[in-house]
Amino acid sequence: MTAQHDEAEGERRAWAWSAHLLKGGTTPWSRWAGTGERTGRVLPGAQQLEMLRRLNLAAHDLGVRPEPALARRVLEASAPGRGRPDLELLGAAPPSRFGPAPVDPAQLPADELIRVTTSLLAEDLVAAPLPGAVLVPPWRRPGSLVHRWRPRYRLVGDPWRADTARRHLVAQGRPPGGPEPTVLVLGGPLSTMLVDLWTDRSFSTGGPVPSWRTWVDTVVETGRLGRGADPVASARRWTGRVGADRVRVVLDPGALPGQVGVRRVPPAPLLPADATDLARRVGGVLGLLVTPARGRQVLRQVLLPRLLEAPEPLPGAPLGVPPEHHRWVVRRSRRLRHELLAAPYPVVGTVLGSPDALLDHPRRLAGAEPGEPHDDRVLDLAVRMLLEHADPHPAPHAATHAATHADRPRQEDRP
Amino acid sequence: MSRRVLLHVGTPKTGTSHLQDVLFRNRERLLEAGVLYPADRFDAHFLAALDLMRLPWGGLETEAIGAWDELAAKVRAHEGTAIISHEILATASRSQVGRALASLGHDDGTEVHVVVSVRDLVRQIPAEWQENVKHRSTITFERFLAELRDPERATRIATWFWGVQEIPEILDRWGHALPPERVHVVTVPPPGGPRDLLWQRFSHTFGLDELGEVELDLEAERANPSLGVPETALLRRINKAVNPVLEPPDYRPLVRELLAHQTLSARTRSARLGLPADVHPWAEELGHAWVEELRRRGYDVVGDLDDLTGAPAAPHWADPDSPRESQVASAAVDAIRALLIDNARLRHEEARLHGEVDHLRRELDAARPVQRAKERALRVVRRSAAGRALHRAYRLARGRSSRSA
Repeated sequence: MTAQHDEAEGERRAWAWSAHLLKGGTTPWSRWAGTGERTGRVLPGAQQLEMLRRLNLAAHDLGVRPEPALARRVLEASAPGRGRPDLELLGAAPPSRFGPAPVDPAQLPADELIRVTTSLLAEDLVAAPLPGAVLVPPWRRPGSLVHRWRPRYRLVGDPWRADTARRHLVAQGRPPGGPEPTVLVLGGPLSTMLVDLWTDRSFSTGGPVPSWRTWVDTVVETGRLGRGADPVASARRWTGRVGADRVRVVLDPGALPGQVGVRRVPPAPLLPADATDLARRVGGVLGLLVTPARGRQVLRQVLLPRLLEAPEPLPGAPLGVPPEHHRWVVRRSRRLRHELLAAPYPVVGTVLGSPDALLDHPRRLAGAEPGEPHDDRVLDLAVRMLLEHADPHPAPHAATHAATHADRPRQEDRP
Repeated sequence: MSRRVLLHVGTPKTGTSHLQDVLFRNRERLLEAGVLYPADRFDAHFLAALDLMRLPWGGLETEAIGAWDELAAKVRAHEGTAIISHEILATASRSQVGRALASLGHDDGTEVHVVVSVRDLVRQIPAEWQENVKHRSTITFERFLAELRDPERATRIATWFWGVQEIPEILDRWGHALPPERVHVVTVPPPGGPRDLLWQRFSHTFGLDELGEVELDLEAERANPSLGVPETALLRRINKAVNPVLEPPDYRPLVRELLAHQTLSARTRSARLGLPADVHPWAEELGHAWVEELRRRGYDVVGDLDDLTGAPAAPHWADPDSPRESQVASAAVDAIRALLIDNARLRHEEARLHGEVDHLRRELDAARPVQRAKERALRVVRRSAAGRALHRAYRLARGRSSRSA
């Protein structure tokens, strides 16, 4: 058998595998033996083919069938951003002295597949309609008599909490602003504020957001907390701008409703670490498709509700500060409390709640099980979200797949 | 629909900035001759490339949304020849190449030509390291070389470098669907040759020397000048210090433009970057392999493929990771001088603007009593129904029906 024959055979095997995957197949490339004819201009990359196989596997588990259009989109997708290029399948292409080495797609790191998936997910989210504006009764609208009696406010500090509260208040006909509003600086335990700050950035676009681990390592290394996690600095800045009588540091969550003139303000949504990381990665792609303002809307008004209202609760622990940084967080939270206590009223305004609320306790931190995003779980979640609108009928050959392990060679998968 | 599209897809550091500058500044003259260079801003094709490849670029990507489709629509609407040029297109994936060719009308009969300008690795490797440093990188030259030579090519730097520099692979992706005579390889002449030889090669490839009466202004306004060894070493140290505190929109004008391009690149007497003696043979060997492969493929070569093998190793090599400190200090003094001059310019500008604000404030103060009197009169008038009706009639007569703020 000649080398040329082997090369052609390898390519024919790859085209057949691609067709098999398009039909919902799940056989790994390393076990695939069938051959077929070329059906496109170029063979899809190993990342795209393996991604489709994972999608089919997940679909079989969920008892759904991916739409053919989705399968085609997966194969045609290019991973956005900088990273490894589309790779050749090991054994499919003739050996070359140039280009990246071909790979066994099953060995690709999840991160490579996430790049492809988040690109498709971002496209889906952009195409989804934004929820309509909430209809506020006339007597609650700005300018109404009732509205004029309510306190005027502006929310700053912990951005994730502030955003949740703000959206709730807008829906209640209590938007922030108005003449000379009181500035409410939201704060809490430092570990929570750090998590909230990264979560808020993950649900925003307009610039790359580093991974949780990289971000929190940098915070610890540089000692710079960032605006959203340093209520003392925020209060200082705002008292300088509007005067101490209009600044209140809200450390007691129970005090907030009274300050904004409502009975209750919902807490900020708590997501598993993997869901937040998925938002971060999708946000990175959205930044390439839509303006930052629209990207933020899409993340918070389309993706966030889908994550919170998933048919099955999302697995995984919420984000937490890694144990090796606990001591630093405890020390830094003490320093924050000290700074707040040491700052007189003209510097930070009124403090609502005890400054102890800023403290992180070593035992409480040690007792919590801090979640950290994991690529495999993020990929699973992304795939699940892509399949959310899939046809609920099982694929014709699902019965043969459901009981078998994906990596097991199956003759019935061969054409 | 364009009859012919010339798509220049790379590679970086091969005189592309000069070519794009000439094409942009002469776009109206070119259009009179039937050649479209569709750009309303200098970086229009860069933005289109970012959009096509979904690449983030320090915030610029937000300006790139939809740019490729707009560019392709202009090309399709033009009857004649169109030119697109940006070097980062070299890194496009096969599916992106497919999308690009389809959007330019390749499947509908447009004659698409791909042009790749190439330079030997002996010069490209140090040039790409320097380009990384000019884009905030703090990687040492030694580490950079190690990452490039690692067969895994798993790091961001290696992925990007080979994506935009591995010529046979770039041509595999871009030339896959084209006959070899429509793939043009323009080689950058070796150092020391005639100064305008590269331009002649570009001009011939893009058909600019066949435009008859059309005279192009070839004076370069934009270029991507090189830095020497101590200057690049200094820039790397500056990156280390400013990366945590300087956002990309400030880094670009202050560090890359003011310091690197306008100040440090003027120091032409310092040692130039090059490859160390132990890496040189590897780059040379790779160059030979590329030449052999490109000859086999039968592309249209403008220049000499042997240009790709690179010059022999220089007898003395200056290590940018251990530069002569006196030279770095001298470069740093030049940098401080440039920053001080620019700071003084900004101070003068600030003073001028303060003067303008004070002047406007005085004018506003002078107008305020009149405005207050008018507002008081209006309040009095609007207290009665007749007054309000009168005011409404007045507003209608003036052509404004909305309430004033």
